[in-house]
Amino acid sequence: MKFRKDAAANPELDSSRDDIRDLAEDLSLYRSAMHHLAESEAARRPFVAEARPAHSFHLRLLLAPALAAAVAAGVFVPVYSHFHHRHPAVATASQAAPDPTEARASIDDSALMNQIDSDLSENVPDALQPLADLSDQATTKNSVSENKNATHE
Amino acid sequence: MEEIAGSAASIFYGTTDAGSEVAIEKREQAMLELADFDEVVRVYRPRILRFLLSSLTDRDAAEALTQECFLKAWSARHQFRGDSSLSTWLTRIAVNLMRDHLRSRSLRFWQKTRGSSLDVMDISDWIPDGRSSPESVAVARDRVAGVWRAVNDLSAHQRSVFVLRFVEEMELEEIATTIGMNLSTVKSHLYRALAAIRERLGETK
Repeated sequence: MKFRKDAAANPELDSSRDDIRDLAEDLSLYRSAMHHLAESEAARRPFVAEARPAHSFHLRLLLAPALAAAVAAGVFVPVYSHFHHRHPAVATASQAAPDPTEARASIDDSALMNQIDSDLSENVPDALQPLADLSDQATTKNSVSENKNATHE
Repeated sequence: MEEIAGSAASIFYGTTDAGSEVAIEKREQAMLELADFDEVVRVYRPRILRFLLSSLTDRDAAEALTQECFLKAWSARHQFRGDSSLSTWLTRIAVNLMRDHLRSRSLRFWQKTRGSSLDVMDISDWIPDGRSSPESVAVARDRVAGVWRAVNDLSAHQRSVFVLRFVEEMELEEIATTIGMNLSTVKSHLYRALAAIRERLGETK
């Protein structure tokens, strides 16, 4: 009771109370405006899961790991194949027993390659050396004319 | 059977008194609520969007972070133990997302112009009923615009605390839990925010 008398007698206290009341009203107006604004914004922009068919929200969340797995596969498969080609011995060791026909073919191929290699590296007999020189010149001329044709084209 | 389940729950939560039973009931209710996630989105989306819109004043960012908030909540729903209410938990996720967003936005300082940013006209466009005269409507709009400008000038922490208290009407303890601050720090931020707003409004009057 005494406090009320003091308050009534103190004009500064009254003005302070008025200020606080005004501030409270301002904040109330601000709150109402923000609530209204957020409601209208929420109504204007429906949530992604609501805009899609049922379970799309869950589906989206389930697809995320699948997408990650696909990306991981896209990265790891080329890396694996790269190392696989760089270390064929390791890869062939881990594979099953090879097909005999394939083995034979690979042996034949290697034998043929060795034969061609030895034939090419064989020295030309002295008697055939002029012919060899002629063939070398012919080959050079042919290659030069081919280059010219290529540039003309 | 129910007694066994109840005693198991009390052992798990480490308490046996009546208050803890209420807490356990609340936890179980929150867990049940979280089970229907579509309903969670429907109920809590407006609140999260409102908090982010008030804090960021950017429509697109608020909407994007709201969606991200619910995606994170869905991903982490198994980690929710019901220690706080679902609303507090979601708001805490939103606060963390907002901090990350503000941090990244401060790095992209050249992006000052934002097409989706809220304007003072947007906020003062709506005035509650009961103000029939054009003068009172104009005065109310000015007052809302004044608070809006003053809130925009607050620091990020002060604004978060202010919005949670005066827009979301949360208790101070709840704000402290949500933001991860001491109660005294929350009070300090709120005091400074109110002082700044009061001073700013005093200048305009």
